[in-house]
Amino acid sequence: MQTKTLAGKYLRIKQRKLSYSFSKAKRMRVCYLFLAPYAILFFTFFILPMCTSIYYSFTSYNILEKPRFVGLKNYINLILQDEVFLTAVKNTFVIAVITGPVGYLLSFMFAWFINELPKWVRAVAVVVFYAPSVAANAFSIFSVIFRGDAYGYLNSILLDLGLIDAPILWLLNPQYIMTVLIIVILWMSMGTGFLSFVAGFQGIDKSMYEAGYVDGIRNRWQELYHITLPSMKPVLLFGAIMSITTAFNVSDVPRALAGYPSTDYAARTVVTHLFDYGFSRFEMGYASAIAVFLFMVMILCKKAITNGLSKVGT
Amino acid sequence: MNGSILLESAGTLIIPASPKERGKLCMGETEAVFINRRGTELLQLNYTDIDRLKNVRNGGISSTITVTLKDGSAFDLQLDRGLAAYEFLFKHWPSRPREPKSRADEYRRLAELRGERIQKPRRANEKQYRNCRIAALVIALLLLIFDSELIQNLFGFTLTSGFMVAINILIIALILVLLAFSFKRRKPNRSIGGDMGIYIMLILVACLMAFPLVFAISSSLKPLDELFRFPPTLFPRHATFDNFSDLLVTMGQSWVPFSRYLLNTVIITFVGTAGHLLIASMAAFVLAKYDFPGGKTFFAVVTTCLMFSGYVTGIPNYVIMSKLGMIDTYWALVLPAFAAPIGLFMMKQFMESLPTALIEAAHIDGAGEFRIFWSIVMPNVKPAWLTIIIFSVQGLWNNSAATVIYSEAKKTLVYALQQIQAGGIARTGQAAAVTVVVMSVPIVIFILSESQILETMASSGIKD
Repeated sequence: MQTKTLAGKYLRIKQRKLSYSFSKAKRMRVCYLFLAPYAILFFTFFILPMCTSIYYSFTSYNILEKPRFVGLKNYINLILQDEVFLTAVKNTFVIAVITGPVGYLLSFMFAWFINELPKWVRAVAVVVFYAPSVAANAFSIFSVIFRGDAYGYLNSILLDLGLIDAPILWLLNPQYIMTVLIIVILWMSMGTGFLSFVAGFQGIDKSMYEAGYVDGIRNRWQELYHITLPSMKPVLLFGAIMSITTAFNVSDVPRALAGYPSTDYAARTVVTHLFDYGFSRFEMGYASAIAVFLFMVMILCKKAITNGLSKVGT
Repeated sequence: MNGSILLESAGTLIIPASPKERGKLCMGETEAVFINRRGTELLQLNYTDIDRLKNVRNGGISSTITVTLKDGSAFDLQLDRGLAAYEFLFKHWPSRPREPKSRADEYRRLAELRGERIQKPRRANEKQYRNCRIAALVIALLLLIFDSELIQNLFGFTLTSGFMVAINILIIALILVLLAFSFKRRKPNRSIGGDMGIYIMLILVACLMAFPLVFAISSSLKPLDELFRFPPTLFPRHATFDNFSDLLVTMGQSWVPFSRYLLNTVIITFVGTAGHLLIASMAAFVLAKYDFPGGKTFFAVVTTCLMFSGYVTGIPNYVIMSKLGMIDTYWALVLPAFAAPIGLFMMKQFMESLPTALIEAAHIDGAGEFRIFWSIVMPNVKPAWLTIIIFSVQGLWNNSAATVIYSEAKKTLVYALQQIQAGGIARTGQAAAVTVVVMSVPIVIFILSESQILETMASSGIKD
């Protein structure tokens, strides 16, 4: 059959491409062999759970009985009836909006400052800044620092200076919990992103700076904007993704410091809410709906950041 | 070849218009020889013949060295210890340029030819360094004379002198800054005031960052009466290891012998990390070096999964594990760790910088894919191994696994330690000791492997 029309031509090209990629796949089968062990495990423990989460979110499921399809009921309850969830969303949002960008900027700024130090000082400084996030349980020491009685470190300093006359229940009073949490999370925010910034700064071609000097760059801010940022774009994106990840997945710190559940749910985040429904009340369907909500928000955030960062330095 | 071989490096020799040859480059005092697999000397390179040397780093320690001879011929060497080889060649090259030319130097030369006036980068003179050094010394001496309390404070100050301590810290910061200034060669585009501000801020923030960790360590060294002293002290007056020895005693009384918890953690951490390293590297190798249908999509999915923490997928994961009969076995911890996305991501980004010619040359020599992976790719990505290892150990070591493991005999060390920690007021000292024990392992591993980790992280960027 003659295919003279444009559509026919297109189809033929497409067909050829398909058969080409199929034959290529056949030729490259050893690649799939290499990928297979990882791909199978990854599928079982990351992709499959995500898909089943979406399925369970439309059902009522308590592990013992078979899941029962309930349509959008979980989502409707979540948004319209569950006030604790709204508190959790609000808290997570506050934590994410403050610690995400601030933690990101701090990591970037300190990586930038550290970069100009002599080599051995830089090595020590990286350890000092990164240690809080690599020593995952170290934040529990904050429960001593912020202890509610006069033996707590902060309380006794404030009493000593005469700023307060009775110890403050930092971790139990809803008025202070969020502030304390944000401080602790910021303390831990120099994580993987920070490391990749430090490494990224060292990878920049030094002669670019000299050339920039000759071309009329006169201070460190111009240098940062015109030379450093554009050459670090990929690392910036990675750091941003790591920082949203940590900001949205906050759950260990509030559970360890503010108690579980916390006073008036003041330290409830989306992930602790999910944990509560999933592992304490065994309402898997409802918990899955929360998980799906979180997936959506994070994927949207990633999109927004990718778009935003592509404009840096242009 | 005359003389002894001082440095050897395996790699590929590329001469234009002739086939690539795999072999090794043996470098001596005055000349280098390239010997191929069959032992034939292909190239004799006398260092006096070199006209130009160029080094392009491929990532890791491998790099491509371009050698141009005085007769105009040129060839490339792709070496697996390329950085060391390049530095060696450069050092022994008799007519090496005194200072490598940069783009800016070239620009300046051209501008001078055109007769433009060029402002040279500002550099501080030697006198300024000396003045800084003298100033730092004078301040330090004054401090010692007038503030004898300082020494005492450093070893156990109380809060009543908190204000004094703050002043002391500031003064020490100032001394450090001045000292730093006296040794540093000034860079262009940096104002002294700005540098000074940044150093002071860095020192203060570093103190704030380190404070909780220092506090944790000092609490673990305090005897019980000092833990409940009012006002609390920062450093113990009578440091003791009692808390750690008490911890050992408590461990000895537990129902399941403590060595069992330790063994569990060691098994889980070791098997999980080793398996993850092997499986993720295999996948990363084909994703980075071969273009096959589906590869890019797969990697994009992995990158998206970087964002989800274990809790979010925890519920369906539990269901899947119970269907597979893995609940209450080590597999429930080890298998998901094998597939952690961060390891694959780091490894793939790092492997991309490996020279493709290295792999092609091995193909021509008839090596199979697994052979290439095992004996060429893996030895070249050692910095990435360490990075994967620290991420994986960090995750597995801190995993208390309370949701997937029920039998007491299979619980992890961190879980057992947390039980001790939860023992109330009487165990405060031991709880501090637990915190120190648990946090020290990842920190020590990180300190030991820092430089390699930073090398890997340099290629961690995501291109959009």
